[in-house]
Amino acid sequence: MRTPRLLEAKDLSVVFGGVHALDGVSFSVGYGEIVGVIGPNGAGKTTLFNSLVGLQRLSSGSICLAGEAVTGLKPHQIAKKGMTKTFQNTALFPDMTVRQNVMTAALSHSVQQEAFEEADEILSMLNLTPIGDADVNDLTFPQKALVEMARALATRPKILLLDEVMAALNPVEMDEVMRVIRFLIQTCALSILVVEHHMRAIMALCDRLLVICFGRLIAEGTPAEIANNPKVIEAYLGQGSGDADKRDKVNRHAQN
Amino acid sequence: MSKKSLFISAVIVAAALAPFGFEPKGHSIRVLSTALLFAAAAQSWNIVGGLANQISLGHAAFFGIGAYTSTLLYLKLGITPWAGMLAGAFLAVIAAIILCIPTMKLKGHYFALATLAFAEVLRVVANSWETVTGGSVGLSLPYVNPSFIDFQFASTYWYYWIILVTLCVISFVFHYISVSSLGYKLRAIRENEDAAEVSGVNSFAVKMIAATTSAAFMAACGTIFAQFNYFFDPESVFNLPGISIRVAMIAIIGGIGTVAGPILGAIFLIPLEEYATAAFSSVAGLAQLVFGCILILAVLIQPRGFMAFCSRKKKKPQNSDVGAEVGQ
Repeated sequence: MRTPRLLEAKDLSVVFGGVHALDGVSFSVGYGEIVGVIGPNGAGKTTLFNSLVGLQRLSSGSICLAGEAVTGLKPHQIAKKGMTKTFQNTALFPDMTVRQNVMTAALSHSVQQEAFEEADEILSMLNLTPIGDADVNDLTFPQKALVEMARALATRPKILLLDEVMAALNPVEMDEVMRVIRFLIQTCALSILVVEHHMRAIMALCDRLLVICFGRLIAEGTPAEIANNPKVIEAYLGQGSGDADKRDKVNRHAQN
Repeated sequence: MSKKSLFISAVIVAAALAPFGFEPKGHSIRVLSTALLFAAAAQSWNIVGGLANQISLGHAAFFGIGAYTSTLLYLKLGITPWAGMLAGAFLAVIAAIILCIPTMKLKGHYFALATLAFAEVLRVVANSWETVTGGSVGLSLPYVNPSFIDFQFASTYWYYWIILVTLCVISFVFHYISVSSLGYKLRAIRENEDAAEVSGVNSFAVKMIAATTSAAFMAACGTIFAQFNYFFDPESVFNLPGISIRVAMIAIIGGIGTVAGPILGAIFLIPLEEYATAAFSSVAGLAQLVFGCILILAVLIQPRGFMAFCSRKKKKPQNSDVGAEVGQ
């Protein structure tokens, strides 16, 4: 018998005019799994995330979350069913404090007082309590990334989609965010789908990787399998150089 | 009682006693009443324009619906304007729903133009439908015996107090919305609608609640305008610069999204407009030119409105390492 999957996406396609931003992408994410999505710039990773949470209408395909079809639902309906995302360059509500940002998301399922308490719990869990009353415009980028994760957690997700949450972080900050992600997996019974350009981070963090190129899923497997996959090497480095040379470059990139 | 509550109570008491400094039938008390009426209308606009950042240029539609509904019910069926006010608010809610279903997805100037067009359509209909609305001739309310039930009073004081109570009610509702869960959701939508949606906020429903509440109050202001002036026509109640732009301008000059902003804006703008009209009437258009220059100056000095002068300085986070030891 097949193990039940939390998220199942089948033949997802998004067409902008004549351009296939996503072209028949199918994959699944299991319970408690961290799955990474990688690919060159413009491959369709953010379009994939936006399609999953309902921000981008699908041209065709279907999405099931915990056995329930969520295809075509509005983003707020999908969020209530347990799937939400963070944004590539962070999209906090600038007119609110950190606590209010988190509380607003908790209001989707709780009354104001309960939402306030839930926001405090999440801030405490992520060690953000000292900046609870701070204006989000005054935060550093790593703090903004964490607050955005806190806000996403306040929707009580089953699966969290993190869109380049480690962009612009230095190696120390990246390690801290990776630790937070592992901590969330352990304590919140979450699954995580993460788009990331930092190969070192994604190789260390993920159970499985999906590789997207020109809107197509070109490879899927463990980080070790992906690092040696000829199609992936081709997508990242192009044709022309020798296979051994390319593999070395990808592996070196993964270690940096 | 907190200092803030004491201050607000003192301001309301002072405002309630203010008419006694003016002649009961004088021009000054009419100007002051008009200023408070436009403060109430701007506060209504502020619910959707300030909290949700849906800049409507069609609020004259709801204002006119309120004025025509109560007046027609009174003239044709003898129904008290108080009941007419409720009927007008109900019709304005229906109109807001009809307007919002196709336009709420629009943003910025697209939404503004769509709402503007809606008010213009109603103005044309009111001008053309002479058998019901009186067309361009407008509607006059006959002066009968002064009574509360007929919403007619010998002294302007009573109109002033009714307008003041209306302004207080709308301001209270605005404040209540802004600190309630609805207010947080509206602010979230205003800042980033996509982020609000993925945070579980039903942006369409939330904006619809704000728009219908705003429309209902705007219609109530229209009813009071009709009763206060005893006469109106399509050009006065469905007017783009006279109503739609004016209420938006009052809220913006005073401080959009704040409870005191529309009140400050109206107290500044309406008497100023009256003064400019009286002082520069010798040359055609000079009053409008001077008034326009003052508006431009006010926006240049403080684009966020008068209330920006009162806003407290933002608090800086104390610790940049916060969030760095999670799960350890």
